[in-house]
Amino acid sequence: MSPRTAVCRLACTALALLFLFAPAKAAGMIRAADWDAYKAKFVDPSGRVVDDGNGGISHSEGQGYGLLLAFLADNRADFEQIWSFTRTELLLRDDGLAAWKWDPNAQPRVTDLNNASDGDILIAYALARAGTAWDRDDLTQAASTIADAVGKEAVAEQQGRKLLMPAAAGFGPGDRKDGPVVNLSYLVFEAFPELARVAPDTDWKRIADDGRALIERARFSPRKLPPDWLSLKTRPRPADGFAEEFGYNALRIPLYLVRAGTEDPALLTALAAGMQGSDGNVHIVDLDTGADKAALAEAGYRAIPALIACVVDGKKMPADLAAFQPSVYYPSTLHLLALAFAAEKHPECL
Amino acid sequence: MRLPTLLLAGATAITAGFLGYKQFVEPRHQPADGLLSTAPTLRAPEVVQAPAPAPAQTSPDAGKPAAARPARPDVDESALRYFARQGDKRRLEIEIARLRALYPGWEPPANPLEGTSAGDPQLDRMWSLYAEGKLAEVRKAIADRQAAEPAWVVPEDLLQRLALAESREQLVNASNLKQYETVIRVGSANPSLLTCSEVDVLWRVADAFARTDRQQRAVDAYRYVLANCDNPAERLASMQKALDVLPRPALDALIKEERKAPDGAGEFAPVRDEMARRAVAAGDKDAELTVAPADVATVERLADAENKASDALLLGWYHLLRNNIPEAEKWFRRARGIEESASASQGLGLTLIAQNKPADAEAILYKWKDGSDEQRATYLAAAANLLAIDPPVDIAPDVLQRIVPTVVAAKDAASAQQLGWYAYLLNQFDTAARWFRQALEWKPDDEPSAYGLAITAERLGDRATVAAIQRRWAGKSTRIAILGETREERARRVPRRQAQRPAPLLPEALQEEEGGGTPIERNVLQPTAERFDLEPSGPTTQALPYATEPLPQPAGAAVERAVRPLPEEPSRLAEAAEPRSFAEPAPVAEPAPVGEAPRQRAAGRGSTRGCTATLNADNLAPRAALNRGWCLMDLNRPLEAIASFESALRSGSAAVRTDAAYGQSLAYLRAGLTDQAAVAAAKAPLTRPKSVELEVSIMESRATNAFEAGRYVEALLALDQRDSVAPQRVDLMVLRGYAYLNLSRWGEAEQVFRAVAATGSKEGPRGLANLRVARHPRTVNN
Repeated sequence: MSPRTAVCRLACTALALLFLFAPAKAAGMIRAADWDAYKAKFVDPSGRVVDDGNGGISHSEGQGYGLLLAFLADNRADFEQIWSFTRTELLLRDDGLAAWKWDPNAQPRVTDLNNASDGDILIAYALARAGTAWDRDDLTQAASTIADAVGKEAVAEQQGRKLLMPAAAGFGPGDRKDGPVVNLSYLVFEAFPELARVAPDTDWKRIADDGRALIERARFSPRKLPPDWLSLKTRPRPADGFAEEFGYNALRIPLYLVRAGTEDPALLTALAAGMQGSDGNVHIVDLDTGADKAALAEAGYRAIPALIACVVDGKKMPADLAAFQPSVYYPSTLHLLALAFAAEKHPECL
Repeated sequence: MRLPTLLLAGATAITAGFLGYKQFVEPRHQPADGLLSTAPTLRAPEVVQAPAPAPAQTSPDAGKPAAARPARPDVDESALRYFARQGDKRRLEIEIARLRALYPGWEPPANPLEGTSAGDPQLDRMWSLYAEGKLAEVRKAIADRQAAEPAWVVPEDLLQRLALAESREQLVNASNLKQYETVIRVGSANPSLLTCSEVDVLWRVADAFARTDRQQRAVDAYRYVLANCDNPAERLASMQKALDVLPRPALDALIKEERKAPDGAGEFAPVRDEMARRAVAAGDKDAELTVAPADVATVERLADAENKASDALLLGWYHLLRNNIPEAEKWFRRARGIEESASASQGLGLTLIAQNKPADAEAILYKWKDGSDEQRATYLAAAANLLAIDPPVDIAPDVLQRIVPTVVAAKDAASAQQLGWYAYLLNQFDTAARWFRQALEWKPDDEPSAYGLAITAERLGDRATVAAIQRRWAGKSTRIAILGETREERARRVPRRQAQRPAPLLPEALQEEEGGGTPIERNVLQPTAERFDLEPSGPTTQALPYATEPLPQPAGAAVERAVRPLPEEPSRLAEAAEPRSFAEPAPVAEPAPVGEAPRQRAAGRGSTRGCTATLNADNLAPRAALNRGWCLMDLNRPLEAIASFESALRSGSAAVRTDAAYGQSLAYLRAGLTDQAAVAAAKAPLTRPKSVELEVSIMESRATNAFEAGRYVEALLALDQRDSVAPQRVDLMVLRGYAYLNLSRWGEAEQVFRAVAATGSKEGPRGLANLRVARHPRTVNN
């Protein structure tokens, strides 16, 4: 045990109690067969999680998801494999954060040295959980280093809010006319109690609380949905230069809220209603008009409102969503996260 | 059976990690074993968080029970044997190095192929993956086996090798992305990486130190390689890499590690040559830099031996910057003989200008004038110098005809002015006037051109123009103000500065000259129609105070004789000289020191010719620098003048410093750098009139700049300050009026515009009209 975690133990236990939900220690929430199917399709032998919907690149977010899913599947070998790649290929920045973008066809492979805060948080979170569950100080120490770096480089204070910035650079008031700009789907709520344990110098609870309040408030169009990118320069509004929509980023927000144990049926139901079309698909929504821009039929997307319907209303998830079939990287990832939560907390949903 | 040999070679090549070396080594070639310690003790001090239990320096074996064992410590040799079986010599060497570092008493087995493991196919596969660099797969394989066989113990050796290889990957990736802190962090945490067998890692760490201002650490790292590693190619490469990131003194220290062949030849000879070249190249950019004569001699030797244009060029620029003009010319000619390049031609052109051969320079530079701004500027300097030769030389028509379009294309006021003077001395006064006007169009604050225009107008009998210019430059140019004074009037204001200055070249002087010689008749000097086609016709001439004549001339109307009658129409210059709009800056005030000669003409004269070359004046004595500063001001090269005055400011003489501060302030003003002008004015105590004159100019410039930037309050403050020490001026009153107007201070604006109207200026009524519009937009529109 590192001195830092020892020091933290008392304070952090107390702190963790303040959170709505602390993740269970036990892994194994993802069925081995499901994880194997996912891995066969999206994890290559070098430990790289491949975003096949995005030209086969990899990114810190994908590595973070890969680590988390491997942990939830209780597969140490795959976790080791993904971690080896993550460490040697992405954790290169001087400030201790991960470079976000890795392209197998470029040289050097890292094509954008900037970080993406959700990627860093997912990596740190998975490491922290694995470090505890498997009694691995080296993983806990690495989690601590990354989380500290996020707290130091990518957390800002504005108008009384503690903000998780999307990256260490590029989104602040000095960087953009409409800055600060945040991405509410970078708030991986379930991670914050873990980060508070390994990186107590940062007030993760305030980040989580202020983030939740922003999600309540920053909802637009008749569909009352949060945008992918949000400007907080004045009154919250969709940020300039990005599509003004509830899109691929924001559709994770309800999933993260549910997974973190949020008990706010009104909010969850409203989000689920806003994102779901009558056809049962999840929709990309234009937040100016409330119109549908695209219907997403992959099971991984549809599983999100279905999970909410089960958690809030006790509606069992449809059979095609309760089973896992890998499609493409992103919806498949979301699907496994939804199923893992159901398996652990609401087995009646499956 | 080559293996044993290789093994020995490998063993001798191995040394301690660099950071460990730093801690333990004094004698350079201590046997490697004596330098070794366990990995944790080798961390770089600055990176270590909590000190690991470090063995005492004298006893690197302490705390390492394995090392205390007899000759054959219990060392995991599975990797070594695996690599031996695979015939992977490189990894075998690295493994031997690593084990030696870890276990000082250990000796590699004589034949690693003997006694190989009874056969552990799974472990072999792990090593195989490791050897292929599939590190993540090794991780996975280990964990898989641990899950399947809980009793299985991972060989410590494999784990260490794996962690080290991952760290190496991380370090190399970080280095490729210039993440130098990460490189140092990883390198320091893994001292076993820092050995001669991983010299690339050592280079990257050294590079990271050098690029993060930890030069001494970088030197240590390179020196480690040179002191310990034997591969000649790697040794030379180390020096070459150091050359790119370390300054000369550090390189001089490192090169002492050079090894000599029996015949005395040093292994770093190519590096020494390159060091000399770089030293001279640095001297090419900085005239003040002292370059060791040995380095210059080396480059000269190389230039002779290898006959490369690049070496000759290095020497050319080196000598040019140090004012060794004949030497510079020699090397530029040599370079040009090997390859006629822009740089060689430009250098040669500059040496020719410096030797007062502007015609030759012009001929050489013409071809290159469009290559870059610098080359164009050099060409224009040659042209201006050619035109400035006094008395005028016969310039071939084709040369003149190619100078003109270049001047026009570059909108080069200095050359336009020279064309004006050239025409003037050829008695082509009309043409002269046109070029002076052109110069003023491009550079409205160009006092010498205004002066040229004034004396040309005087020659043409155009009193109205003379008067208009005098009004416009009132308080800003003495020589314009005193134009037309009698000799007696002038005698009463004998210039204090005259003694130190080139004799004033006043209108009478010109007349005497003309009387004394036969004017050269020429007909090629007309600004051609082409020139004017390049200018927008309407708005530009409207906006420019001096562009009042109908400028365009048919291209055919080139012939003009020396004498011309008065212009038929009265010049409209008087009206135009009034500020036409508030947006127009008044010419930056540029008070001409009393008795100063017409500046541009001076360029062609012996006494000031010394400053026509584009040279660094910092080597001059302060008084010479002062004279050069004024000379450069005469040439309207204020930026160079600033530097010369700066040198003069180092003088021990208070008088020189005072004059230099004054000159530098003027130079900054002319360059448009108002704030620096104020700073310069404070560099030495000035006489009251001079400090007032400068303050007035600075405040006027500040007011105009602030106004143009929309900072009206600041503009008003500057105007108040100016008006407290100098009489009101109509154009500045207008500026003040508009400043009030823009601040919606209607009453004050009205008061000011009324005062302007009372002087008879049309700007008064115009301002009042604008004021009405601003106050009651709707009323006026309706």
